[in-house]
Amino acid sequence: MNTEKIINCERKRFQKFIKFRLPHRFMAVGLTIVVLAILGMLVHAFALEGDMDWLKQLLKKILLVGMLIMSLSKDKVEDEMTISLRAQSYAIAFVVGVVYALVMPYVEYGVSNLVHSGGEAFKDLGDFQVLLFMLMIQLMFYHNLKRYR
Amino acid sequence: MENTIKVERAILNLTQDELAKKIGVSRQTINSIEANRYVPSTVLALKLSQLFNKPVNDFFKLTIDDA
Repeated sequence: MNTEKIINCERKRFQKFIKFRLPHRFMAVGLTIVVLAILGMLVHAFALEGDMDWLKQLLKKILLVGMLIMSLSKDKVEDEMTISLRAQSYAIAFVVGVVYALVMPYVEYGVSNLVHSGGEAFKDLGDFQVLLFMLMIQLMFYHNLKRYR
Repeated sequence: MENTIKVERAILNLTQDELAKKIGVSRQTINSIEANRYVPSTVLALKLSQLFNKPVNDFFKLTIDDA
Protein backbone atom coordinates (compact mmCIF):
# COMPACT_ATOMS: atom_id res chain seq x y z
CA MET A 1 0.00 0.00 0.00
CA ASN A 2 1.54 3.33 -1.00
CA THR A 3 1.54 6.52 1.07
CA GLU A 4 -1.34 8.13 -0.83
CA LYS A 5 -3.57 5.11 -0.26
CA ILE A 6 -2.75 5.14 3.46
CA ILE A 7 -3.56 8.87 3.69
CA ASN A 8 -6.86 8.36 1.83
CA CYS A 9 -7.76 5.46 4.09
CA GLU A 10 -7.02 7.53 7.21
CA ARG A 11 -8.96 10.49 5.79
CA LYS A 12 -12.02 8.29 5.15
CA ARG A 13 -11.82 6.83 8.65
CA PHE A 14 -11.50 10.32 10.13
CA GLN A 15 -14.48 11.60 8.12
CA LYS A 16 -16.54 8.61 9.27
CA PHE A 17 -15.61 9.38 12.89
CA ILE A 18 -16.51 13.08 12.50
CA LYS A 19 -19.86 12.28 10.89
CA PHE A 20 -20.85 9.75 13.55
CA ARG A 21 -24.39 10.34 14.86
CA LEU A 22 -26.87 8.13 16.67
CA PRO A 23 -30.27 7.43 15.07
CA HIS A 24 -33.15 9.78 15.94
CA ARG A 25 -34.78 7.29 18.35
CA PHE A 26 -31.81 7.76 20.70
CA MET A 27 -33.08 11.27 21.48
CA ALA A 28 -35.95 9.69 23.46
CA VAL A 29 -33.53 7.20 25.05
CA GLY A 30 -31.22 10.05 26.14
CA LEU A 31 -34.13 12.12 27.45
CA THR A 32 -35.41 9.15 29.47
CA ILE A 33 -31.95 8.60 30.99
CA VAL A 34 -31.70 12.32 31.88
CA VAL A 35 -35.17 12.36 33.52
CA LEU A 36 -34.44 9.15 35.46
CA ALA A 37 -31.06 10.51 36.62
CA ILE A 38 -32.66 13.78 37.81
CA LEU A 39 -35.42 11.84 39.61
CA GLY A 40 -32.72 9.66 41.19
CA MET A 41 -30.87 12.78 42.34
CA LEU A 42 -34.04 14.17 43.91
CA VAL A 43 -34.70 10.87 45.71
CA HIS A 44 -31.08 10.80 46.85
CA ALA A 45 -31.28 14.37 48.15
CA PHE A 46 -34.63 14.21 49.94
CA ALA A 47 -35.56 10.60 50.66
CA LEU A 48 -32.37 8.62 51.25
CA GLU A 49 -30.31 8.82 54.40
CA GLY A 50 -26.75 7.77 55.18
CA ASP A 51 -23.51 8.01 53.26
CA MET A 52 -24.50 7.43 49.64
CA ASP A 53 -21.81 9.43 47.88
CA TRP A 54 -21.22 6.63 45.37
CA LEU A 55 -24.86 6.90 44.25
CA LYS A 56 -24.54 10.67 43.80
CA GLN A 57 -21.41 10.22 41.68
CA LEU A 58 -23.07 7.45 39.64
CA LEU A 59 -26.18 9.56 38.98
CA LYS A 60 -24.00 12.48 37.86
CA LYS A 61 -22.24 10.22 35.34
CA ILE A 62 -25.60 8.80 34.14
CA LEU A 63 -26.94 12.34 33.66
CA LEU A 64 -23.91 13.28 31.53
CA VAL A 65 -24.22 10.09 29.45
CA GLY A 66 -27.94 10.82 28.86
CA MET A 67 -27.19 14.37 27.72
CA LEU A 68 -24.36 13.15 25.49
CA ILE A 69 -26.73 10.66 23.83
CA MET A 70 -29.24 13.49 23.25
CA SER A 71 -26.47 15.66 21.84
CA LEU A 72 -25.31 12.94 19.42
CA SER A 73 -28.79 11.96 18.20
CA LYS A 74 -29.82 12.81 14.67
CA ASP A 75 -32.86 14.94 13.87
CA LYS A 76 -35.97 13.50 12.26
CA VAL A 77 -34.88 15.12 8.99
CA GLU A 78 -31.12 15.48 9.02
CA ASP A 79 -29.80 17.74 6.27
CA GLU A 80 -26.84 20.04 5.62
CA MET A 81 -28.46 22.92 7.49
CA THR A 82 -29.00 20.94 10.69
CA ILE A 83 -25.41 19.69 10.45
CA SER A 84 -24.20 23.30 10.11
CA LEU A 85 -26.40 24.46 13.03
CA ARG A 86 -25.13 21.60 15.19
CA ALA A 87 -21.53 22.55 14.40
CA GLN A 88 -22.31 26.15 15.38
CA SER A 89 -23.89 25.02 18.65
CA TYR A 90 -20.80 22.92 19.53
CA ALA A 91 -18.53 25.88 18.78
CA ILE A 92 -20.62 28.20 20.97
CA ALA A 93 -20.79 25.61 23.77
CA PHE A 94 -17.01 25.19 23.69
CA VAL A 95 -16.29 28.94 23.90
CA VAL A 96 -18.96 29.63 26.54
CA GLY A 97 -17.80 26.57 28.51
CA VAL A 98 -14.19 27.77 28.62
CA VAL A 99 -15.27 31.28 29.70
CA TYR A 100 -17.57 29.74 32.34
CA ALA A 101 -14.77 27.53 33.70
CA LEU A 102 -12.45 30.55 33.92
CA VAL A 103 -14.88 33.10 35.37
CA MET A 104 -17.29 31.10 37.53
CA PRO A 105 -14.83 30.16 40.34
CA TYR A 106 -14.17 33.89 40.92
CA VAL A 107 -17.91 34.67 40.86
CA GLU A 108 -18.63 31.88 43.38
CA TYR A 109 -15.75 33.03 45.59
CA GLY A 110 -16.78 36.69 45.36
CA VAL A 111 -20.47 36.06 46.06
CA SER A 112 -19.69 33.67 48.91
CA ASN A 113 -17.41 36.22 50.61
CA LEU A 114 -19.79 39.09 49.94
CA VAL A 115 -22.79 37.35 51.51
CA HIS A 116 -20.96 36.31 54.67
CA SER A 117 -17.47 37.40 55.58
CA GLY A 118 -14.94 34.58 55.58
CA GLY A 119 -17.02 32.52 53.14
CA GLU A 120 -15.87 29.63 51.00
CA ALA A 121 -12.22 29.24 50.03
CA PHE A 122 -11.35 29.71 46.35
CA LYS A 123 -11.77 26.48 44.39
CA ASP A 124 -11.92 25.51 40.73
CA LEU A 125 -15.05 24.04 39.16
CA GLY A 126 -15.40 20.28 39.02
CA ASP A 127 -15.49 18.37 35.74
CA PHE A 128 -19.18 17.54 36.24
CA GLN A 129 -20.18 21.20 36.53
CA VAL A 130 -18.24 22.23 33.40
CA LEU A 131 -19.39 19.27 31.28
CA LEU A 132 -23.02 19.66 32.38
CA PHE A 133 -22.90 23.37 31.53
CA MET A 134 -21.33 22.75 28.10
CA LEU A 135 -23.86 20.04 27.20
CA MET A 136 -26.73 22.23 28.39
CA ILE A 137 -25.48 25.18 26.32
CA GLN A 138 -25.02 22.96 23.25
CA LEU A 139 -28.52 21.47 23.46
CA MET A 140 -30.10 24.84 24.22
CA PHE A 141 -28.31 26.70 21.42
CA TYR A 142 -28.98 23.93 18.90
CA HIS A 143 -32.67 23.98 19.78
CA ASN A 144 -32.79 27.79 19.52
CA LEU A 145 -30.81 27.93 16.28
CA LYS A 146 -33.24 25.43 14.75
CA ARG A 147 -36.19 27.42 16.03
CA TYR A 148 -34.99 30.69 14.51
CA ARG A 149 -33.61 29.27 11.26
CA MET B 1 -26.62 36.19 -2.11
CA GLU B 2 -30.23 36.36 -3.22
CA ASN B 3 -32.35 33.83 -5.02
CA THR B 4 -35.60 33.31 -6.90
CA ILE B 5 -36.34 29.81 -5.66
CA LYS B 6 -39.81 30.86 -4.58
CA VAL B 7 -40.58 31.87 -8.18
CA GLU B 8 -39.08 28.69 -9.62
CA ARG B 9 -41.05 26.65 -7.12
CA ALA B 10 -44.25 28.46 -8.12
CA ILE B 11 -43.55 27.73 -11.80
CA LEU B 12 -43.36 24.02 -11.01
CA ASN B 13 -46.39 24.38 -8.72
CA LEU B 14 -44.56 22.86 -5.76
CA THR B 15 -45.03 23.56 -2.08
CA GLN B 16 -41.99 24.06 0.17
CA ASP B 17 -42.61 20.63 1.63
CA GLU B 18 -42.78 18.94 -1.78
CA LEU B 19 -39.61 20.66 -2.96
CA ALA B 20 -37.87 19.72 0.30
CA LYS B 21 -38.78 16.04 -0.17
CA LYS B 22 -37.61 16.06 -3.77
CA ILE B 23 -34.11 17.24 -2.87
CA GLY B 24 -33.90 15.47 0.51
CA VAL B 25 -33.91 18.35 2.99
CA SER B 26 -36.36 19.66 5.58
CA ARG B 27 -39.12 22.19 4.79
CA GLN B 28 -37.47 24.65 7.20
CA THR B 29 -34.25 24.51 5.16
CA ILE B 30 -36.15 25.48 1.99
CA ASN B 31 -37.84 28.28 3.94
CA SER B 32 -34.46 29.56 5.19
CA ILE B 33 -32.95 29.44 1.69
CA GLU B 34 -35.90 31.33 0.20
CA ALA B 35 -35.62 33.96 2.95
CA ASN B 36 -31.85 34.31 2.21
CA ARG B 37 -31.01 33.23 5.75
CA TYR B 38 -29.08 30.18 4.59
CA VAL B 39 -26.74 29.73 1.64
CA PRO B 40 -26.96 26.11 0.43
CA SER B 41 -24.00 23.94 -0.49
CA THR B 42 -22.95 23.40 -4.11
CA VAL B 43 -24.50 19.92 -4.01
CA LEU B 44 -27.88 21.30 -2.95
CA ALA B 45 -27.67 24.14 -5.49
CA LEU B 46 -26.96 21.59 -8.25
CA LYS B 47 -29.88 19.42 -7.10
CA LEU B 48 -32.12 22.49 -7.41
CA SER B 49 -30.61 23.25 -10.81
CA GLN B 50 -31.39 19.71 -11.96
CA LEU B 51 -34.96 19.95 -10.69
CA PHE B 52 -35.65 23.39 -12.17
CA ASN B 53 -33.80 22.40 -15.35
CA LYS B 54 -31.89 25.71 -15.30
CA PRO B 55 -28.30 26.74 -14.57
CA VAL B 56 -27.59 27.69 -10.94
CA ASN B 57 -26.81 31.28 -11.99
CA ASP B 58 -30.40 31.72 -13.15
CA PHE B 59 -31.83 31.50 -9.65
CA PHE B 60 -28.86 32.38 -7.40
CA LYS B 61 -27.38 35.87 -7.74
CA LEU B 62 -24.51 37.55 -5.94
CA THR B 63 -25.35 40.82 -4.17
CA ILE B 64 -23.21 43.83 -3.20
CA ASP B 65 -22.76 42.29 0.29
CA ASP B 66 -20.88 39.34 -1.27
CA ALA B 67 -18.25 41.58 -2.89
